[in-house]
Amino acid sequence: MSISAIKNQEIKALKTEPTQLILIISFLIACLYAVVQGAAYRHQQTDMTTTFIAEQNKSIEVWRDRLVAVDNGTTTEADDRWAGLAMDVSFPAVAAPGPLSDLSHGVSDVRPHTGRLSLWRSVDRLFGNYQVQSPIDTAAGSFDLAFVIIFVMPLLMIALSYDALSDDKELGRLGLVLSQPISVRLLVLTRLRVRFMAIAVILAVALAIGLVSGATDNGGISERLPYFTIWFLIATSYFLMWAAVITWAISLKLRGETTALLLAGIWIVNCLAGPASLSATAESLYPTPSRLAFLSEAREASNSAYKSKADIMQGMLFDHPDLTADNYSIPEYIRTAFLVTRTVDQSVAPVLNRFDEVQAERRDFLSIFQYASPAALTLQAFNLSAGTNLERHLRFERSVRDFKQMIAEEVERNVLVGQRLTLTEYDNLPRYQNNEWSIGQVIEKTAAPIAFLLIIASLLGTIALKNLGRLQTRILEP
Amino acid sequence: MIKAILWKELLQYRRDGRIVAVLFITLTLGIAAALNSWSSVQNMQRERLAAIKTDRTIWDNQGKKNPHTAAHFSRYAFQPTSSLSVFDPGLGDYMGSAIWLEAHYRDPATLRNIEDAVEIQRFARLTPAWILQVFAPLLAILLAFAGIASERERGTLRQVMSSGVSPKQLFLGKGIAALCVVALLAPSVVAAVVLSVSTHDEIELPSADVRLFGIVASYAIYIAAFTFAAIGISARVSKSKTALIALVGFWAVAVIFMPRLATDIGSNISPAPQAAEFSAKLSSESSSPFWGGSDEAIARREQIEADVLRQYGVDTIEDLPINYDGYLLQESEEFANGVFDRIYDELWGAYETQADIVRVFSIVSPTIALGNISSALAGSDLHAHRHFADSAEMFRRDFVRLLNEEMIEQGGKDGYAYMADNDFWQQNPDFDYQPPTLSDVVSKIWMDMVILLLWAFIAYQLAFRGVRHSFKQEAMA
Repeated sequence: MSISAIKNQEIKALKTEPTQLILIISFLIACLYAVVQGAAYRHQQTDMTTTFIAEQNKSIEVWRDRLVAVDNGTTTEADDRWAGLAMDVSFPAVAAPGPLSDLSHGVSDVRPHTGRLSLWRSVDRLFGNYQVQSPIDTAAGSFDLAFVIIFVMPLLMIALSYDALSDDKELGRLGLVLSQPISVRLLVLTRLRVRFMAIAVILAVALAIGLVSGATDNGGISERLPYFTIWFLIATSYFLMWAAVITWAISLKLRGETTALLLAGIWIVNCLAGPASLSATAESLYPTPSRLAFLSEAREASNSAYKSKADIMQGMLFDHPDLTADNYSIPEYIRTAFLVTRTVDQSVAPVLNRFDEVQAERRDFLSIFQYASPAALTLQAFNLSAGTNLERHLRFERSVRDFKQMIAEEVERNVLVGQRLTLTEYDNLPRYQNNEWSIGQVIEKTAAPIAFLLIIASLLGTIALKNLGRLQTRILEP
Repeated sequence: MIKAILWKELLQYRRDGRIVAVLFITLTLGIAAALNSWSSVQNMQRERLAAIKTDRTIWDNQGKKNPHTAAHFSRYAFQPTSSLSVFDPGLGDYMGSAIWLEAHYRDPATLRNIEDAVEIQRFARLTPAWILQVFAPLLAILLAFAGIASERERGTLRQVMSSGVSPKQLFLGKGIAALCVVALLAPSVVAAVVLSVSTHDEIELPSADVRLFGIVASYAIYIAAFTFAAIGISARVSKSKTALIALVGFWAVAVIFMPRLATDIGSNISPAPQAAEFSAKLSSESSSPFWGGSDEAIARREQIEADVLRQYGVDTIEDLPINYDGYLLQESEEFANGVFDRIYDELWGAYETQADIVRVFSIVSPTIALGNISSALAGSDLHAHRHFADSAEMFRRDFVRLLNEEMIEQGGKDGYAYMADNDFWQQNPDFDYQPPTLSDVVSKIWMDMVILLLWAFIAYQLAFRGVRHSFKQEAMA
C-alpha cells in the first residue's frame, strides 16, 4: 500500500463515511453561520456609530449655526442669549468597531463604544444609556468564528482522527498494513494530514469569506488585512497545537476509547475548566470596587455639592477673582451645574482610577497564567488583534473622561463669567480622537501567545514523531 | 440480582482511574465554584444593603429643595440577590442591579456585573449550577458508555444472560450504579446549599424550601436522562468506542453549542432594540407630545387647563387653590406612563420571544430546559428581573406622584420656588420589594419542566428497550 493509496482511501472515506461527512458539513455550516452572523454584527455596529455621530453632529451644527449668526451679526445677542453657551458644548466620542469585530466579538457587546461628551453630565454618566441589550443574548455569548475555532474545531479534529492508528490495531490488521513498504509514522501522518486538511480548507474558506464580508466603508479589506494576518496566524498556531496534541495522543498507542477520552479530557480542561478557574481566580484575587458604592459616592457628591453650591462658588471666586462677573446675564443654575458636575467628577475620579487599576492587575495576572489554558490565551489574542479586547474599551472610556476634563478646563472661564464662546474659540476646541494601537503594538502583544502555541506544537509534534518511530520497532519486533 | 450487578459495577468504577480522576476534578471544581459563588453573592448582598442605607440617608438629608427638583434627583431601586443565587446566579450578572427612579423617565436597570468581568469569563462561569449542567452529564456518559457495549465486546453479555439476569435487572443495576457515582457530586451541591442557607437573605424568596427541592429534583432528572441515554446508546451500537464518540458528540452539541447557537438564532429573529434608538424613542414619545410645541401638545395642555379650571370652578390659573405647575407635572407623568408601558412591553416582549425561541431548541438540548428551571427557581432569571423592574416602576410612579402632590398642595403661588425640607423627605416611603410567588414562577417554566421530564422518559425508554434489544440480538447470534 503506497502513500497515495492511503491518501485516496482517506479522501474517499471523508466523502462517503456518513459520520465523517455529517461532522464536516456541520462544521462548514457552523463556520459559515459564524462568518455571516459576524459580518451582520460588524455592519450593525458600524451603522450604529455612524448614525450616532451623524445625529450628534446634526445638533452640534444647529448649535454652531446660531453662534455663526450672532458672530456675523445676523442675530443680535439679545435675540439669542443662549447662542454659544459654553456649558452646551457637546462632542461625540466614538471607538470605531474593532477591525475584526466580526470574527471575534470579545467584550464589544457589553462595553460602550459611543459616548456623548456634555458638560451637563458627570463622568459617571457619560456612557449611561446603553444597557437595554438582551441579558439572554449576553449571557449565552457570541457564536462568532473565534468560538468556532476555539471550541468546535478541536472537537472535530479529535472526532475525525482519534482512531487513526487504534482502529487498525483493534481490528488486528496493523501488522498487515505494516507489512507493506510503509512506516507507522508515515501511515499516521498521512491519515492525519488528509483529515486535518479537510478542516483547514473549510476554515480557510470561511476566513476568506469573513475577510470580505466583514469589510465596511470605514474598515475596508486593505485596513483589515494586517490585523487579519495576525488573526490568521493565531488561528493557525492554535490549529497546529491541536494537531500536535492529537498526534501525540495517538502516538501513545492506547486503545481508541482511551485516546478519545484523553483528548476529550484535554479539551475540557483547556476550553472549559481552565478558563473558568482562571477568570474566577483573577476576579477573586483582584475584586473591583463596588459599582453600587460608586453610584452612592457619585450621588452623595452631587447632593453635597448641590447643598453647598454657594460655598463652592465662593471658593472658586476666591481662587479666581478674575472670574467675577458684574453683568452676569446667564442664569445662576448653569454655573451651579458646572461646578456641581465638576465636584462630582473630582469625587468619583479615585474610584474610577481604582477600577482601572484592578483591571490592570487582573491583566497582569492573566498575562502570566493564561498560558495554563491555550484556549484562554488564544481568545485573548484573537480579541486583541480584532480590537474587541477589554483593554481597548477601557482605554476608550478613560480617554473620553480625560477629554471631558480637557474641554471643561478650556471653557471653564466662559461658563463661570457667563461669556459666550466666540466662533474662533469654539472651532479651536479640540475634537475627540480615539487613539488606537498601531499594528506594531498589536504584533508585539500577540507575538508571545503565537510563539507559545507554536512551541507547544513543536514540542508535542517532536515527541509524537519519536513515539511513532519507536512504535514501528515495537510492532515489528517478533 | 440487581444488587449483585450494582456492586460489580461500583467495584469496576472504583478500579477505573479515569473515573476516579474525573470525579475528583469535578468535585473539587464544584466545591471551588460553591465557595466562589457564595463569596460573590455575599458581596452583592452586602453592597446592596449599604447602597440602600446610603440612598436613604442622602434622600433624608438633602435639605431644602423643590419637590420636583428632588424628583429629578430621586432615589434608586436596588435588585436583591437571592440566597439561592449561590447555587445558580442565572442571568444575574447580565442584568442591571440598580434602577434610577427619576421623574419623567423610566430608566432601564444599570450597573451589570458582567462589565467588570475579565474577557475569558465569557467562556464559562464557575458556579455550582454550571458544574452540574456541564460536567455531571459528562461523568454520567463516562460511567455508562461502555455499560452494555463492552459486555458484548468482551462476550460477557451472553454469560450474564445465561445466569438468568433479565434486561430490566441489567439496566437497573447499571443505571443505579452510574447514578450512585454521579450522586457523589452531591457534596458540591450540599456545599452550595449550606452556603446559601448561611447567607443572610434580606428578601426571602417565597417557598424557598420547595424551590430548593425543585432544583435538586430537576438536576436529578437531568443527570438520570443523560445516564439512561448513555446506557441506551451503549446497548444500540456495536462498539463501546462508537458509543463514546456518539455520546461525547451529543454532549458537546446539547450542553455547549446548542444553548449558544439557539440564543444567537433567537436574537436574530427577535432582536432587542439598539440602546440609542430605544432611548430616543422613549424620550420623544413620552415628552414631546406633552411638553413640545406641536399643535397636539398645545391642545393637550389647553385641554388639561380647561379641565382643571372646570373642576375647581375658577376662571384663571391664578385663582386655583392648588399649584398648577405641580398639577401639570403630574398630568405629564400620567401621560408618559402609558408610553413607558407600551415601549417597555415591546422590549420585554422581544426578550421573551428570544427566550421562547431558545426553548424550542430544548428539544435537542435538555440543558436549555434545565437552565430555565434552575435559574427561575433560584430567582435569577429574566422573569425575576422583569418582576423587580415592574415593581420598581410602580414604586417610581407612586413616589413621583407623592412629590408632585406635595408641590400641588403646598406649592401655592411659589410653584418651582417652593422648597420642601428634611421633615418631608424623611416621611417618604422606601421601596419594599416582594419577589414573585412560586406559582408565578412555575407558570413561566412549566413547559421546561415538561420537556425535561420528556427527555428523561425518552432516555429511559431508549435505555430499557436498548438493553432488551441487545439481549434479543445476543440470543439470536
